[in-house]
Amino acid sequence: MAKILLVEDNEHNRDMLTRRLRRSGFEVCCAVDGPSGVAMASSEQPDLILMDVALGAMDGWEATGLIKRSSRTAHIPVIALTAHALASDRETSVSIGCVDFDTKPVDLPRLLSKINACLAVHS
Amino acid sequence: MWTSITVGTLNNLVDWFIPANVVHDVDMRKQARIFLYSHLFGPFIGNTVPLALYYFDPKPGFQITVLAVSITGFWIFPFLLRAFGHYYLLATISIENLIFCILWSCYFYGGVTSPTLPWVLTIPLLALFYVGSSPRMRLAVLTLFAVNLAGFLYLYSVVGHPVSSMPFSAMEGLGMVSTVATSLYVAMMALFYANALAAQVELGAEMREHMAKATELRAAAREAQLAGAAKSGFLANFSHELRTPLNAVVGYSEMLLEDMNAATEPEAIADVQKIHAAGHFLLKLVNEILELTKIEAGKMEVNFEPVDLQALTGRVGERHRPLARQNGLDLIVSCDPGLATVMTDPAKLESALGQLVDNAINFTREGRITVTAARAAGQNGEEAVISVRDTGIGIAPERFGSLFEQFNLAADTSASKYGGTGLGLALSKKISNLLGGDLSIESKINVGSCFSIKIPLVAVDAPQGREDQDVAEAMSEADAYHHRLRTLVGEAGREARRLPSAAADIRMAVNG
Repeated sequence: MAKILLVEDNEHNRDMLTRRLRRSGFEVCCAVDGPSGVAMASSEQPDLILMDVALGAMDGWEATGLIKRSSRTAHIPVIALTAHALASDRETSVSIGCVDFDTKPVDLPRLLSKINACLAVHS
Repeated sequence: MWTSITVGTLNNLVDWFIPANVVHDVDMRKQARIFLYSHLFGPFIGNTVPLALYYFDPKPGFQITVLAVSITGFWIFPFLLRAFGHYYLLATISIENLIFCILWSCYFYGGVTSPTLPWVLTIPLLALFYVGSSPRMRLAVLTLFAVNLAGFLYLYSVVGHPVSSMPFSAMEGLGMVSTVATSLYVAMMALFYANALAAQVELGAEMREHMAKATELRAAAREAQLAGAAKSGFLANFSHELRTPLNAVVGYSEMLLEDMNAATEPEAIADVQKIHAAGHFLLKLVNEILELTKIEAGKMEVNFEPVDLQALTGRVGERHRPLARQNGLDLIVSCDPGLATVMTDPAKLESALGQLVDNAINFTREGRITVTAARAAGQNGEEAVISVRDTGIGIAPERFGSLFEQFNLAADTSASKYGGTGLGLALSKKISNLLGGDLSIESKINVGSCFSIKIPLVAVDAPQGREDQDVAEAMSEADAYHHRLRTLVGEAGREARRLPSAAADIRMAVNG
């Protein structure tokens, strides 16, 4: 069973996505902010990370940058989630090292296909 | 009043002599004008001297004839200027002729004590008026003057001079005539310059007024832009805040629907479906507002890339087919195979087209929706035309104009009746414009409507949002106005600088 780390600060979004991903057959662990997301990426060693971009003090880009710079977590693929479907977001996510990019509100079938495609490449 | 009328009429007369190559040079035209004034009216005053000499000299000789011919010869200069141009050459010859006339009469009538000596004063005055601000020409005419004067003094004192045949009383009479004529002449030139100067000062004041107005306009345009940006920023943030709780409503109701058992709790399912639909509708509305404000703020990014129209129209068709079928409608999609790839922003085009199909489904009770993509000749070359035709209620022609205004449909009762948000058409139109194209409509009441997105088949620079464009246009207009004024003031200033005593406050306008 593939393990996904979800980094998301909004309680409802986190709860919903966690439950729906579990129903779809994934093992899910959650982090509520950037620093705990970076720490859990290292301790939990997930197969994939879903990173909300608009977090608090440390935003998703910064957290992803830290994850990509650490030798223990650099190999884990990260999918960025943003509220704005801006081209600049896409460019930033690629330049920081995210494998993919999706927009909120989450369209579950679309996100699942992205997750599966990503896991297929990295397994 | 009369002076300005006279000056205007005289200017017209004088301008007739100005050749084409001089007319277009503002500085040179002014110099040519004063050159023509002095040449047209000067000989009338100048010829008083040979006349007086003829009257006072008991034995008038050839020297008076030579003087009269030389002075009358000034009248040829305006015609030479009109025929041949060469203003500076003519001005130099004219100055030499003037120096000759004056020194000639002095030589024969009293030398350095001659009654015609006051005329020497007019030489540097006229010479500097004629040649304008060019330092080289100024030096040339002053050198010419000095050389002539030196030659004259040498000839007069070393080589010798004729003894004047005129008695002292005649010399006195000549002196009177000469002084009055010189004063008249200088007064005429001074009057001309005073008029020109008054016009410059008036022009300068007017310029300053216009400059102030232009600055005000720019400030107002900038303020409007800032206010617009603040409004858009607020709407964007607010819409974003609304989306988060709406996501929860939509997401949780979706989860509930997944969990519920259709056999045991059909009523509860219907209720949750209503919550889900209402949440979805609100989310859609908020997203549309967000998109509109993004376009208006000029923050909508457009990414042109090669797009397969067949695939794009197919995708839109697939996405909307379930809803169409649910409403008992056929959804037919066809794409001209010759129109495989176009340069556009796929996400934006898909969104605009989706809005149109959505709209068509909402306003059609029975029949079909037809989506077609084809190549057509437009006003600016070839276009791809993507049309959505329905067999719906239709739209009256008088409503076409207001149809694409945002919030228009929202105010209409039919919108809520048919489930439209009222923003979809406005958004489609704005997106079409953003992609360098347009959205148009044909419709007949109770027959159906056809909305067509036209996008150019050549890559174009995507225009900004409309409000942004309006402000940009206003700004650039104000800029152009400002620039024109600056040029004019610069011109006025250059002319004014030749009038040293009065130029100061115009120069202030130029520099300030």
